[in-house]
Amino acid sequence: MEETKTKGNRLDVWIAVLIALVSLTTALATWRTSALGSSAGDLIYQGFIDAVKAQSSATENWRNAYEQAAYTRDYLITLDGIVAEENSTDPASQEHAAQLRANLLPGMETLASPMANDPSYFTPEGWLNVQKRFDELQAEDAAVPGLVPPAPDAAFALADKYFSEQRWLVVGTILIAVSLFWLGLSQLSHLRMRVLILLLGVLVYVFGLVWSVGVEVYFIFLRGGVL
Amino acid sequence: MNQSAQTNPDRWKSLVLVLTLVNTVLMASVSALQVDANIRANQANRDAQYYAVQITGGLAYTGARGDFDTNTYAISVTNTLESLVAGYTALLRQEVNDTQGYDALKLEEQIYQARADRATSLSVLQTNPAYGHGTTQTAADFTAYFDELFAPTREILQKQNNASDAYHHWNSKSDSYVAVLTVLAVAFFLLGVAQMTRPGLRLLFSIFAVVVLGIGSLWTLILLVF
Repeated sequence: MEETKTKGNRLDVWIAVLIALVSLTTALATWRTSALGSSAGDLIYQGFIDAVKAQSSATENWRNAYEQAAYTRDYLITLDGIVAEENSTDPASQEHAAQLRANLLPGMETLASPMANDPSYFTPEGWLNVQKRFDELQAEDAAVPGLVPPAPDAAFALADKYFSEQRWLVVGTILIAVSLFWLGLSQLSHLRMRVLILLLGVLVYVFGLVWSVGVEVYFIFLRGGVL
Repeated sequence: MNQSAQTNPDRWKSLVLVLTLVNTVLMASVSALQVDANIRANQANRDAQYYAVQITGGLAYTGARGDFDTNTYAISVTNTLESLVAGYTALLRQEVNDTQGYDALKLEEQIYQARADRATSLSVLQTNPAYGHGTTQTAADFTAYFDELFAPTREILQKQNNASDAYHHWNSKSDSYVAVLTVLAVAFFLLGVAQMTRPGLRLLFSIFAVVVLGIGSLWTLILLVF
């Protein structure tokens, strides 16, 4: 009887130690699960900032490209009107055309540069190739270090990996938490039952721990060594 | 019953233990499902916002392009009409033998026509057979033009709407799973009480717990199916 009581007390101590250990592991696993969600959230936030910056830059470049296209259109229309005047036999109109060519056209041509005088800015159908000008403006921006942010897709893809790891790590965290429950129950139960429950708790804990570590290692590999 | 309970104070404890195990497994599964639903809601929310950013850019682009194309079309039509009016007026002046006026108006007609020709050549709305019928004599098909212009933005808008719907769907599921977890926590409490109490009450509390567990399981099934 006394021996059984001593065994029970010793088991009580072991269970208490195990409960402390599992509680610590549960806290650690919960922290890591939460940190993964946080990392994913940070990446999404970063991706949004990049997306907004990239979109603002593209919007400005489209506006700029179409503004230049409008200057080019106005220049070319004015030029053809002047040419028609120059081809007339009326000296007054010819003089008027000469004045326009000397005083009006240079300014308009400057605004219409580079699209007005480069045939590559025209499509085979004769329309202005605004897409080409836009692509050039985008390339010019990309050449300036730090001006154009990276595409948000990479940040979003990495966030998805964190989410994926969080999804699997939650399973491990739950298993560890479940083992804590079993260990607690074993502390309250009678001797024969408590050993069985204790074993169950330890098994679930070990399985949960191995699962969590495995998930962590696998995803660290998948992210190329990034924690 | 009473005699048996008195002789065996651990009666029904095995049942309570099994029920606790079932509840634990169910709770763990629902927790995992809740986290999964929450992650999916986050991803859908992110997609919806990302598409919204793209839509903003798409609208800015369509605005700039639409403005340029319709202005070019308007310039072409205006100059064509100015040319026609100048030519017609020249004929009227010729009828009253006003040679000087006729010459001036003919030149004006040529200038406007030259300007109109250039504007027409630059006008997608007039020279693209998809909207302009390949002629300056008929009005451009603005419906076809704007349909094509807004098609990419509409496509992104559809994706944005889908992502937004997905977000609401998963967010609602996530919230419902939290409610299921609360129900299962109640089952845990009842089983805990059952574990501590005397055999007669233990069975009663176990029955209550089974009912609550059943509600939680059914709710989970409904959430999984819909």
